[in-house]
Parts: sequence; C-alpha cells; structure tokens
Amino acid sequence: MNTPMNTPANTPLTPHDPASIPANPPQRALGLHRELDRVWRNAPGLRGQITAVSHTTLGLRFMVTAFLFFGIGGLLAMLIRAQLATPNGAFLDTALYNQIFTMHGSIMMFLFAIPMLEGLAMYLLPKMLGTRDLAFPRLSALGYWCYLLGGLILIAALLAGVAPGEGWFMYTPLSGKTYSPGINADVWLLGVTFVEISALSAAIELMVSILRLRAPGMKLTQMPLFAWYMLGTAAMMLAGFPPLILGSVLLEMERAFGWPFFDPERGGDPLLWQHLFWLFGHPEVYIIFLPAAGVLSTVIPVLCRTQIVGYGAIVAAILGMVFLSFGLWVHHMFAVGIPHLALAFFSAASMLVAVPTAVQIFAWIATLWRGRPELKLPMLYILGFFFTFVMGGLTGVMLAVVPFNWQAHDTAFVTAHLHYVLIGGFVFPMLAGVAWWMPLMSGRRRVRGLGEAAFWFILVGFHGTFFLMHLTGLMGMARRIPSYPENPEWTALNLSSSFFGFVMTIGFALFAIDLILQAGFGKRSVRNPWKAPSLDWAMALPPPNYNFASLPGPALQQAGAEAAMLALAKGEGLLPGAPRGRREILVTSVGTARPEHVAILPVNTGLPLLLALAISAFVLLMLAGLYTLAPLALIPVVTLIWIWARRAMAPLDATPIEVAPGLVLPVQPGDGGTLTRSGLVSLLFANGTFFASLLFGLAFISLVSPGPPRPLWPADRTVLLATGAVLALLAMAALGLPRALSHIETGRRAGAGLPVAFAANLLALALLLALGLGQLPDPTRHAADAVRAALVAYVGLHAAIATLFTAFALDQARRGELAPGRAGALRNAGLWQSYTLAAAAVTLAALWAQEAAS
Amino acid sequence: MRPAGGVLWLGWLIAGPTVWAVAFSLAYGLHGMGCEFGWPAVAVGPVSLHRLAIALPALAGALICLGLLARVKTALGPEADLPRLGLWIGLVATLFSLAPVLVATSCGPGLG
Repeated sequence: MNTPMNTPANTPLTPHDPASIPANPPQRALGLHRELDRVWRNAPGLRGQITAVSHTTLGLRFMVTAFLFFGIGGLLAMLIRAQLATPNGAFLDTALYNQIFTMHGSIMMFLFAIPMLEGLAMYLLPKMLGTRDLAFPRLSALGYWCYLLGGLILIAALLAGVAPGEGWFMYTPLSGKTYSPGINADVWLLGVTFVEISALSAAIELMVSILRLRAPGMKLTQMPLFAWYMLGTAAMMLAGFPPLILGSVLLEMERAFGWPFFDPERGGDPLLWQHLFWLFGHPEVYIIFLPAAGVLSTVIPVLCRTQIVGYGAIVAAILGMVFLSFGLWVHHMFAVGIPHLALAFFSAASMLVAVPTAVQIFAWIATLWRGRPELKLPMLYILGFFFTFVMGGLTGVMLAVVPFNWQAHDTAFVTAHLHYVLIGGFVFPMLAGVAWWMPLMSGRRRVRGLGEAAFWFILVGFHGTFFLMHLTGLMGMARRIPSYPENPEWTALNLSSSFFGFVMTIGFALFAIDLILQAGFGKRSVRNPWKAPSLDWAMALPPPNYNFASLPGPALQQAGAEAAMLALAKGEGLLPGAPRGRREILVTSVGTARPEHVAILPVNTGLPLLLALAISAFVLLMLAGLYTLAPLALIPVVTLIWIWARRAMAPLDATPIEVAPGLVLPVQPGDGGTLTRSGLVSLLFANGTFFASLLFGLAFISLVSPGPPRPLWPADRTVLLATGAVLALLAMAALGLPRALSHIETGRRAGAGLPVAFAANLLALALLLALGLGQLPDPTRHAADAVRAALVAYVGLHAAIATLFTAFALDQARRGELAPGRAGALRNAGLWQSYTLAAAAVTLAALWAQEAAS
Repeated sequence: MRPAGGVLWLGWLIAGPTVWAVAFSLAYGLHGMGCEFGWPAVAVGPVSLHRLAIALPALAGALICLGLLARVKTALGPEADLPRLGLWIGLVATLFSLAPVLVATSCGPGLG
C-alpha cells in the first residue's frame, strides 16, 4: 500500500506526527489471532459469564438485558391500555394501577433507555475508535451488575406488590412518609440510585475512552460523529445524574430519618424535589436522544452512498444541545406558580433548543437528498423516526409556550408528546441501529420480510395509539387516571388507542422474533455487508474480544474498512498481537491522538460482581429499615475497592514497549497522565455537580422556601474553632501530599509528608464527626438544619475518602511500590485532597452566608 | 490542531456555551434573590435594581462572547471554525434566553 504506514523504518520519527509512524512487518493473521484470543477471551462456562470484563460481551449483555426490561415495561403498558379501554375499567384496582404506570415509566427510562444506549456505546465505541477495549473494563462490569441487581430489586418489588406508585417522577409530598408510608417509595429511591451507578460509571468510561483511546492520529475533529454524540452524552450524564442522585438521597434521608428537606411544615419545600428531579429529567431527554442521533448520523450516509452533510454544523448542534438542554428544566414546572420573568427565561431557552435539533434534521435530509437512499430495513426505521420525531418536536415547541402549557398541563396531550419524542427520537433510531449492527453482533444475516412486517406494525400501532392521545388530552383527559365514568366522550378515542397499542405490541414481538431467528438460525453474513467505511466493520464477524490484531494508524483509518481489514489482521498496524501475554492498548493525547503510552488492562475477574453484591447488601438493609446495620455493609465495599485498586497497578517489571518500528512507549507515563487520573477528573466533575446541586438546595431553602422561619443557631466559639481546625488540617494534608510526591519523583523516600497527610485527614474526620454529632442543631428540627447537616456530612464523607486515599499511598510506600514515574496513587490522592479542601472552604462560606442572610 | 492543544481547543469549543450557562444561572439566581430581598422596589435610575442585576450577567456574557470571537482566530488558527460556532451559540443563546428581562414583570406570579 502506498501509505504513510509503509514509510521506511529509517524515516525520522517525529513524536508529534502520528502520520509518520512506520508500519509493522506483516505476520501470519491466524497466529496473531490465536495469540490475542488466548489473552483477551472470556473464561469458559458460567465462570466466564461472571468474570467477563470485555466491552463486547458487556455491551451485548447490557442491550439484551435492556430489551428484556423493555418487554416487561411494554407488558405493563398493555395492562394500562387494557384498563383505559373502557370508562369503568375494572381490570386493575387503583393502587395496582398506580404501581403499574409508575413502573412502566421507571422501567422504560432507567432500565431500558439509559442501559440500551450505554450498551450500544460500550459495544461500538472501541471498534469505531480503533482500540481494543474501553478504559476501565472492570467498571463496565460493575456498572452492568449494579444495573442488573438494581433492576431485579425493582421487578421483585413489583411482583411482591410493593412497587412505587407515585409516578415515575416521584413528586413530594406524595412520595413523603406521610402519604406513602410503606417501602414502595424507598424501592424507587434506593433501587434507581443503585442502578444509576451504572450510568455514572458508563459516563466516566465513555468520556475517558473517547478522549484518550482513539487510534493514533484520529483527531477530535476527524473522529466518527457517533463518538461526538457519545462524548456529549457522557458529559451530560456526568452533569445530569448527580442532581437526581442528590434528590433521591435527600428524600430517602427525609423518609428514613426525618430530615425535612421537602416538608413545608418544617421549612422544606416540595418544589425543591421538582427542581432537582427536572435538573436531571430534562437533560435526560437529550441524553437519550443524542446516541440515537449518533446512530442516524452513522447509518444515513452509508445507506445513501454519500458522506454526511455538515459535519461541523452537526458537531456545533451537539454542543448547543448539550448545554441548552440544561436550561429547560423549569418548563416542566410552568404550572407551579413561578414568577413571570423566570417562566420567560425558560420558555425562551425551550424554544431555542429546537434550533440545534433542526440543524441536525436538515443535515440528515440534505444527506438523503444528496445521496441515493436505499430503502433497506434500517432506512424504514429512519423514515419512521423522521415522521414521528418531527411531530413530537413540534408539540414540544407548543408546550414550551407558557399559556398553552397551562392548558395542556398534566393531560394525555403531554403523555402523547413525550411518547412521540421518546419512541420517535430513541426507539425508532435504536431499532434502526440494531438492524444495522446485528450482522456485526451475531455474524449472521436476517430472515427477509419479518423485519419489514414488524416495522409497519410498530409504526401504525404507535401513531394509532398516541396521535389519538393528543386529542383525548385536548378534550381534557388527565394523565394517570384509572377510569373516566363521567366522560363517555373519551371512550371511542381510548378504545382506539388501546387497540392500536396491541397492534404496536405485535410489531415489537415480531421484531424480537426476527432478532432471535437471526442470531440463532441466520446464514453467515459476509464481512461488512453494508459496505460501510468505518472501523467497526474492519474486523471479523462476530468480532473477537480484542477487536483488532493491530491498531490502525492514520493511513489505515482513512483507507476504509475493506482495505484496512486485512492489513490490521496481519499486524501491520501498531502494537500487534499480545506477545507479552497482557491486555495492552494505546493511550493517545486528547487533541491529535498522539501515542503517549501503553496501558495494561485488567484480566477477567469476579471483583465487579462481588462489589455490586456488597453494594446491594447495603441497599437491601436500607430498604429493610435496618439503618444501624446498613453501614456495616460498607466494610466489604471499602475492602473490595481497596483490592480493586491494588490489582489496578501496572506490573513493577513493565518495560517500555516498541509499538511500531522505532516507536517505543512507556507503560507508566512520566507526567502522571494515566487513564485513572482522567477517570478521577471525570468523577470529580460529576461530584462537583452534586455539590453545586446541594448548594442550590441550601439557597433554595434559605431564600425561596415559604415555610416557618429558620430557628436561630448562634454558632459558638467551639464551632468556629472546630471548623477552622478542620480547614487547617485539610490544608495541611493538601500541602503534605505534593511534598511527598516531589520526594518520590526525585528518587527519595516519601518522607513525613505522607503520614502527616494521613493523620491530618483522620483528625479532620474525627472533628467533623464530633461537630456533626455534638454541636450542630437537630437536623429534624427544620430544613435549614437538615441541609446544614447534609453539607457537613458531605465534607465528612470526602475527608473519610481522603483518609483512605492517603492510607493506600502510605501502604504503597511501606511496600516500596512508590518510585519515580510510579507515584500515581500519590497524584490521585493529591487531586482528591484538593477537591476536599475546596469543598470544605465553600461549605463554610455557604453556611456563613446562610446565617448572615437570616 | 496543535500537538498538545487538545484540552485547550476543547476549552475554546465549550467557552461560548459555558458563558451562556454561567450567565443564565447567575440571572436565575439573582432573580430569586431579588424577589426575596425586594429589589424590584429599589430604583436605579430608570430601571429597578432587580432588572439591572439580572441584565448585567446577560450583558457581561454577551461581551465576553464578543471578545472571544475577536480572538479565536488568532488563538487557534485553522482549527478555529468549530470553536467560533460555539461562541456564536453562546452569544445568541445569552441574548435570546435572557432578553425577557427587558419586558417581563420580574416577580409577579406566573399562574393564577
């Protein structure tokens, strides 16, 4: 090939120019495959299922599990439609009906949509980006087990008749202890939060992988659009889920311990829950839409035999949506009595977000216009998307207009709108994506005809169900009511909706049968059946766990899947095979994807399952109301995380590796730029959003909440001294860690800085405990006291984790494992310590401001 | 893109929308504070203190976006196209979403 990969080995190698990296000599493809397969494959049998950490296995597993939950959610939808088919439906009693519509929404959002997009992204991204796995394979596995166990808790509650029945957005005070005394609401709060561990872990995983694991030379501005969409999605998940997790934690604290964050009689405010929920809930719509749009931007150009129109405009549109979607949350609260001006801000932002959405729609239409569209099965679903989503978008603009919103609020019109957006904007593109990538996933062709029949059943059934619900809504039918004996004029529309609902179900059943037939009995597919150019098709079908026998440089990336396939299989790319018997991948720079170092990924392990089980023990103890025992479950959690971190270290004897002729890369980056550090930065970003949401709660309760005035809390001298001492100790630790790091990097022992940091953290933690238990006012007295205690608890938790960080580094120093270029634990401890110090200082200032304002 | 400029480039890319996010949050926060502390009743020249306090972040955000637009080509050279679009998004979003401060009543109830 006449490509830069074939540059003679004596060409000067400029480290900043990946295009000049010479090719490796070709090897026997089968030999390379065997060598790699030995290292990367899953263990056999049940053990293999439990210990697998491969992104291919876990991505598929996420998607299959999500479809199973989708089936359960769909079954519940059929029960709802059966109940509403007639005005006096006696099919379900009211309590059970409440549980069923709550679980329908919760399952579809938390157990289908989010895990489905996570699974698709996990499966595809490493293949599209030209690497062998995601950055943190064990985290992928942990996310899956948390998702599965959390989902099973929710389903078990449904079967036991104790499922939540307060609606999928769990508004207070209905979800408070007074009106929901059972464990139903706790199941939602704890179960969903447990499941969301998987969302956060996936977000960190995807963010770091997209920024640091792209094949050498794949600039950000050249990467596949799907990766841009997932980068935006990951950032939104990191910023969007923390407010929901905070809201859930606060509501559970109120229910379990009586801290009255949302109780207006004690200074709390139910609207705080709505703010926190919708701070997550509205971006959630875009979190779901962006990956689906990524599928569209990937599939449409190939099926039109052309290139996407407006790559730059689409990236800008993604950027706009990622940000603007966080300025819309109040449009879910237009009817709660918010002042005119605030309504106008959010109404304007809600209308504005239609612009980037429209930019993408027009780019796709232009691509269709420029190319020669082929009406294959994925294209049918894409046309279904256009037809459905545009209608949903237009009713969205209608709902962004405040006066119309007041008229349609809480009616079936809103239910119709949200299903048009979610099924149009997510389900149709995902079905297109599944039809598109099934040959890759299964290695087989589909049975002709069945998929097309499924599509028409779904399309006709969907519009028959939900278009009519716009009309029932405009006629005044409220959502979530189980019967309507006083309104016979709604009967015909409801009966028709129910009929078409079952038509849609037949379509989804056919779709599932089609997949099963394809995966089990389809003929073997040819490689790259769609003639797609992207790297995800430059591999065997179905793909091996390692994806590529060698990693593509710039020339092989541009050569297209067909041309690159053989060269990659023969090891002509970078880092060929697995000659050292380790799972090795290339880590590259953020912007130009310049090769920086080789990372060694962990092997198959049962640790993620064990950790998920330990977390589930905590969740179950909380659910059982055993609040004094629940903290004991944290002991195995901490122990397992410690073991996890011990096993994450690169082997001490790891020497630099020649990834291409003349290009030798270290296993430990000298500047500390490890994947773990990138992951920690992402985690701290999400953590910062959580903290900012908590500060928002403090301001909201202090300024806006209409409840009884805050009782006075004159902070005495002891409190002032204690808080000053906490800050001083955290600062001392923050100074000690860099000092220890500088000692290590200059070849000396860690010195006194490390033990001093550990002791300072421990003492700060003890002081915070004493302050919280002995000095702060009773947090059940008033919401202001509760939020103050929550802030102190937040700082305390961070000091506890900082103590563990420093203890881990201390242990490493004792074992002699800290050395120049191998002091990642110290660097990461320093980063966490700085965050803890900053959070403590901001907390102190916020509490002072709270008192000053009173 | 400069070899080590990935993070810097990303910073420029998100600068415009970030300015909007900060201005929007500040305006909404100041709106809540102003209603609590009675700023609409305090006149500052021809406008109320409340309206002025909310308009200032919008104005500052727009000016920052304009300033960055003037510098983006110099800073990024041929890689400036996408960040420039980002800055336009920030500018338009700031002006459009906060424009109601010029007309709407500031603390009147929105319903009832």
